[in-house]
Amino acid sequence: MNKRNFIRGILYAALTLLALICLIPFAMMIINSTRSNTEIVRGFTLIPGKSLIENYKNMMYHMDVSDGVFKGIWLGYKNSFIIAISVTILSGYFSALTAYGFYAYDFKGKKVLFILILIMMMIPSQLGLLGFYELNKALKTLDSYIPLIVPSIATPFTVFFMRQYLVSTMHPALLEAARIDGANEFSIFHKIVLPIMLPAIATMSIFTFIGAWNNYLIPLTIIVSPHKYPLPVLMGYLKGGKVSENLGSMYLAISMSVAPIIIAFMFLSKYIISSISAGSVKE
Amino acid sequence: MNSRNKYGYLFIAPFFIVFSIFGIYPILLSLYMSFTDYKGIGSPFNANWVGLQQYARLLKDTYFLQAFINTWKIWGVNIILQLALALILAVIFSDVRLKLKGVSLYRAIFYLPNLMTVSSVALLFLFILDWQHGALNGLLLKAGFISKPVNWLGQPQTAQLSVSLIQTWLWFGHTFIIIFAGIEGISKDYFEAAMIDGASRTQTFFKVTLPLLKPIMIYVVITSLIGGLQLFEIPFLMSQNGLGGPEGSLVTMVLYLYNQAFKYRNFGYAAAVAYGLFFIILIFSIFVFKGMFKEEA
Amino acid sequence: MKIKKYLGILLSTVLVTTSLVGCGPKKTSENKEKLEVDKTKVLRVWSFTDELKEPLKYFEEKYGIKTELTIVPTENYASKLQPVLDSGVGAPDVFTAEIAWVKQWIDLPYWENLSGEPYNADKWADDYVPYVYNIGKDMNGNVKALSWQATPGGFIYKRWIARKVWGNDDPAFVAQKLSSMENFMKAAEELKQAGYKILPDEGAIRWFAKGSDPKPWVNEKNELQLTQAQIDFMDYQKKLRDNEYTALAPEWSPAWFASMQGQIPINAGWEKDVNKVKGNKTEVFGYVMPTWGLHYVIKPNAKETAGDWGLTSGPSPYFWGGTWIGIYSGSKNKGAAWEFVKMMTHDEEFLNWWYKKTGDLLSYKPVTEKVKDTAKDEFLKGQNHYQFFLKEAEKINPNIVTKYDQGIDTIWGNVVKEYIEGKKTKDAAINEFYKQVKNAYPEIKTPLDK
Repeated sequence: MNKRNFIRGILYAALTLLALICLIPFAMMIINSTRSNTEIVRGFTLIPGKSLIENYKNMMYHMDVSDGVFKGIWLGYKNSFIIAISVTILSGYFSALTAYGFYAYDFKGKKVLFILILIMMMIPSQLGLLGFYELNKALKTLDSYIPLIVPSIATPFTVFFMRQYLVSTMHPALLEAARIDGANEFSIFHKIVLPIMLPAIATMSIFTFIGAWNNYLIPLTIIVSPHKYPLPVLMGYLKGGKVSENLGSMYLAISMSVAPIIIAFMFLSKYIISSISAGSVKE
Repeated sequence: MNSRNKYGYLFIAPFFIVFSIFGIYPILLSLYMSFTDYKGIGSPFNANWVGLQQYARLLKDTYFLQAFINTWKIWGVNIILQLALALILAVIFSDVRLKLKGVSLYRAIFYLPNLMTVSSVALLFLFILDWQHGALNGLLLKAGFISKPVNWLGQPQTAQLSVSLIQTWLWFGHTFIIIFAGIEGISKDYFEAAMIDGASRTQTFFKVTLPLLKPIMIYVVITSLIGGLQLFEIPFLMSQNGLGGPEGSLVTMVLYLYNQAFKYRNFGYAAAVAYGLFFIILIFSIFVFKGMFKEEA
Repeated sequence: MKIKKYLGILLSTVLVTTSLVGCGPKKTSENKEKLEVDKTKVLRVWSFTDELKEPLKYFEEKYGIKTELTIVPTENYASKLQPVLDSGVGAPDVFTAEIAWVKQWIDLPYWENLSGEPYNADKWADDYVPYVYNIGKDMNGNVKALSWQATPGGFIYKRWIARKVWGNDDPAFVAQKLSSMENFMKAAEELKQAGYKILPDEGAIRWFAKGSDPKPWVNEKNELQLTQAQIDFMDYQKKLRDNEYTALAPEWSPAWFASMQGQIPINAGWEKDVNKVKGNKTEVFGYVMPTWGLHYVIKPNAKETAGDWGLTSGPSPYFWGGTWIGIYSGSKNKGAAWEFVKMMTHDEEFLNWWYKKTGDLLSYKPVTEKVKDTAKDEFLKGQNHYQFFLKEAEKINPNIVTKYDQGIDTIWGNVVKEYIEGKKTKDAAINEFYKQVKNAYPEIKTPLDK
């Protein structure tokens, strides 16, 4: 028994050390965002500094004046939020719609189309990157959010996931009953199916939202004007600008860019982790 | 066909309309571009058709080869560390005899990095790893592990290693969750039977756990491979002007594609690079898939 | 090639249907109509620095037209602007270009033809420093962009160091000291003996390399030209490094900026807080910088020593950078756009004001002629920088500029650095240069093709 406790002790120590390693970069980021440039240059300590407000002012000033981003990081939040929320809603609704179409009806070509979705799940997005860029150039939708938002109507993985969900949870009898009551196909979907699918939609929405919030390569190539940059592109853009000359301001900007996700994770961690666990076993 | 079933088309129509325009069309257009010498000005349809010339160039391109090797090196180190770490953690936490507590807290902490905006992570480490006043060198110097600052991002080997480690940091928690769920999913009967047979921990691991985890491991390796071969943000943001770091050591395949297209405007060639990348991912996915199942037979 | 045909037709039908809508850049501009200045429209301007901020304010006050300036930093300017100009969506009314981009864009239908009606910029030909005016012409000789500045280079030095080392700080004397690369190295040695560094870093002399045998990187046969001068200068750079003639402060690094103000530690590199570096301190003697470098880079960073600097010529004349400005051909606000371009480049009142404010070298002769005899720069101990720079500007050969310059300069700079750091031999470095150029610009013929 003693030996087991001893092993346990060592394991806990090792796990805690690993957890610390995971958290150290965050600690460095948060602590350094409260310290001044000179303090940071002098070396790292765990004691927070007093320059948080100064760093913030400096960051905002330089974003506005020298780097041409007006209203600084808050604009980045707004842009990212508009994009991510639109993507989440469109992707959630239309994926459910498509999944239900595949689930509830037997039509010609159904199998082929579903296999097409499966194939597209496997194809890396870079394959179409240049064509996507050229298409938007021709459609005159460069430097707009349309190429970032509208394509989310077609998200193969989400459709796949939701169809699996329907297969395992939906009772066909429920649909028959509704049809006998004379409901039309669309109101059946909206009034009966959609509520049943909510858990699956919610799960996918979290990941869709995070994915859209973190997306970098597509907006980098599509968005031109600095004031339209979503947060990740804005961050990359700051690297070459005046803000990065003050390390404290830079750390603060990085902290602020990841803060919403960290806060959301605090509330949703259990849910997120169990979704990943569940997803992996099914696949 | 039942008339009601026609609704199926209506339900899936929005998906397939958007899908054709923004999903399939760009892929075909990229393919078309890869047969031209399009330079990103005007329209690809006015560019010269050059047949397979871009692909011939791709096969002879030593810079692409270097990008290919770099990408594999960075991914290889990362996947080994990631899998090892995740497996060890999963085994420790699922051990019936140890009964460790606090799984959910540790799991949450290990997983946290995975949610971060990758461009923010790249910037964060760019500053943490800075050799003159980066926090890491500061910390290591203070603790006495090193006597003079290490220029992490200034030398090819350490730069690649840094990116590998960042990738590990980002992903091991995710892999751990999946493998842990996999082990939890294995019926307890197997482990109890092994225990009754007097199998040691090591024997149980290699004879029972590992074989049963094979499908999940394949899943992890393939998804990580697909992601790893597309590595872009971190090398792009961690090297000056996005050119790919010391002696080109951080030029990954996608970074190469990006620079060929958007820096040098060789759109035709960059499209061929994209297809090259796609075939590499395809071939290796099949290879991993087959290889891991063959062993079993 | 049946596949080609079908694929092409299929894919392009989609594009054609969409591109019929909307407005792109006009392929042919026949603007016979009168330009109207619509004061209710906002004039949209794109540039890569904040230099136009003040002029736009001036413009707003003078004309009562609202303006909007979008700044996209140099690093991304070309790649971000090109698709906008190409598609016409969200495009500005006026946009600027650095010299390298002028060459990339001048033959594309992006800028309005200013030689045509109603602009008739041709009749201004004699008003400008010739090379500035010529760079703004396309291959048919039409003027598409103009510039308010000329940017010849010089050697900008600290007079007190010259006095201490040579007992003479006169620009003519220092020019003699630096009149050839051999003399330059001798002067470097003398400065070193006295505890000074002639230059902040080795790369600074790249401009002399270009100036000593002015040939374009790529000739009209699309062949890469690596001049003997460039190869010789690899050795000069190595000599500077090996003999410790420089302070190892890379261009644009914090140490580089700090070296203008006073002493810096040797090998401060990219250190942000230069004073924290331990080790021997040294002081940099001079900088290879053009007109804008004097006004926008050195002056703001050397406030305490203002008045004790000098300006002279190095081993060979050169020029560096410059900003051109023109009207976007698809603009719907050409009237106001033309007013702004005119003000920036052909408005004596404004340009006089601008000269007084910045002291920058203008390209507009009616102003330069008036001020060139009386101009003096207090920062340069009252030296007449206008006469010096105008004389240097006459030596500029604009035909050496190519659209590849930015990319090739970067590649060349990198391989030369690998050579002087001993990572590559000279031949290996040159070979690597050819390979990288070929990889970036496959249409260029390099010696490796033979």
